Amino acid sequence: MSLTTALLVALWCTWGLIDEQTIQLQTTRPIITGPVVGLICGDLQTGLIVGATVELMFLATVFVGTATPPDTTLASGIATALACAAGGDTEIAVATALPVALIGQVVTTLQMTVVNVALLHIADRFTARGDVDSICKINKIALLFNFVFYGVPTFLAVYFGASYVQAIIDATPDWLISGLGVGGGMIGAVGLAVLLQSITNKKLWPYFVIGFVCAAFLGINMIGVGLVGVAAVFLHNYFTSARDEQPELGYEDEED
Amino acid sequence: MKNTDQKLTRQDLWKIFRGQIFIRSALNYERQQCMGFTTAMRPIINKYYETPEERAEIVDRHMQLFLTQPMVSAIPVGVAAAMEERIATEGDLDPSSVNEVKIALMGPLAALGDSLINGTARPIFAGIACSLAQAGSVMGPLMFLAVMAFITIGVRYLGVFEGYKRGVTLVTDMQKSGLIDKIGELASVAAFVVIGGFTPSIVSLALSDGLGYGTGEEFVTIQSALDGMFPCLLPLVLVLVVYALLRRTKISPVALMLLLMIAGVVGTVIGLF
Repeated sequence: MSLTTALLVALWCTWGLIDEQTIQLQTTRPIITGPVVGLICGDLQTGLIVGATVELMFLATVFVGTATPPDTTLASGIATALACAAGGDTEIAVATALPVALIGQVVTTLQMTVVNVALLHIADRFTARGDVDSICKINKIALLFNFVFYGVPTFLAVYFGASYVQAIIDATPDWLISGLGVGGGMIGAVGLAVLLQSITNKKLWPYFVIGFVCAAFLGINMIGVGLVGVAAVFLHNYFTSARDEQPELGYEDEED
Repeated sequence: MKNTDQKLTRQDLWKIFRGQIFIRSALNYERQQCMGFTTAMRPIINKYYETPEERAEIVDRHMQLFLTQPMVSAIPVGVAAAMEERIATEGDLDPSSVNEVKIALMGPLAALGDSLINGTARPIFAGIACSLAQAGSVMGPLMFLAVMAFITIGVRYLGVFEGYKRGVTLVTDMQKSGLIDKIGELASVAAFVVIGGFTPSIVSLALSDGLGYGTGEEFVTIQSALDGMFPCLLPLVLVLVVYALLRRTKISPVALMLLLMIAGVVGTVIGLF
């Protein structure tokens, strides 16, 4: 992996984190980071496959409140670069994604508990002086630490990891690689379970059965399931409006 | 104090919108998004407050703990802008009420933003993008980016501008009309359909082809027999088991992920998967 490629991958992952901490265009998600890193490494197809694979592993991992989720940007960025270096071998991606994501999670926690708290205490000194401009600056300086926390590790992992990745794959026994692949296929269940747990109105569980039957028994793809979901929402709204005896149109207007 | 005869202009609101983007830049575990909220309030502070003493009071007010989902945090930002404008221009509003309103909005909005955007909209569009990407098309990721950009910018724009326009009445309207509960219930419907429907694509688990009964050409794998009766049974059971574990034990989601990776390796070695 050339110096420029590794630098570009590191820059993209840093941008992914900055995006997540600012406007949230979701470039941080594997489905975007995968193809972009693939493009940087000159192998868009591998990027698309790895991006989609890692995205599905972490699709539903929504951690509410202050909980820090596993870091999917680093996971998909490094996994894609390594997969490209290994000549399009996507198994390596599944095997590396979770460990990298967990390291990223620790780094994020460190950033929020140590660095940003330290910055807060610096900002507090300006609060007493009413110096809002300095507080704004500190708020933005926090973003620069992403270069240190995410950019540098990504660069090192991609620049040095790439030359060893083939040797590591060759040295790893087949049962371990396919076993990690099986495990990677299962961890998506955790995200789905976390989502199930977060649903407020558990009495609506029959809709879960409808969705599952559509996909498993009828073979409807994800776009189709999305449409069934839209239909279910509108029908549910229609039937429950009569129950509530309140005009629902007003609500929709407020949403717009 | 200065400019106390002036209302916030559209230009001021755009400045607040730009500041709101940085709401969680310095997210910290002590007071969460407080620096971000202060950043969003900066145009108001610069417009109305002159001396360091005056500024210190309003800055301190917004440097208190604040945390909600970053996109929908635009709503309290807009509402707070309206309240701060009133405090500066009319002075007939108790400054402490700003934080009361902010805190009242935090919880419901976090739940709404997490379940509606992070828990429903994003997984749906990302899932669709994945199925297109697996077929080798860049259209999936591009569509995902466009839709999510529209959502995040749209929610932030509406939050700041509508939040400002309706001010505190927005809060009371939302609470009285039961709008938040209603949206929450509809989001639950969508989330259930999508979680059920995405289970077969997101979770893959199958028994090894070595497991079966019969001999020679009569050999039937247990997995194919299962698929004939109840397709994707194992992924479904896995999701429900993990859900039960999360509910009934204190095990963390991350620990469960690691356990599943180990289970995958062990299961492969003993010839189960």
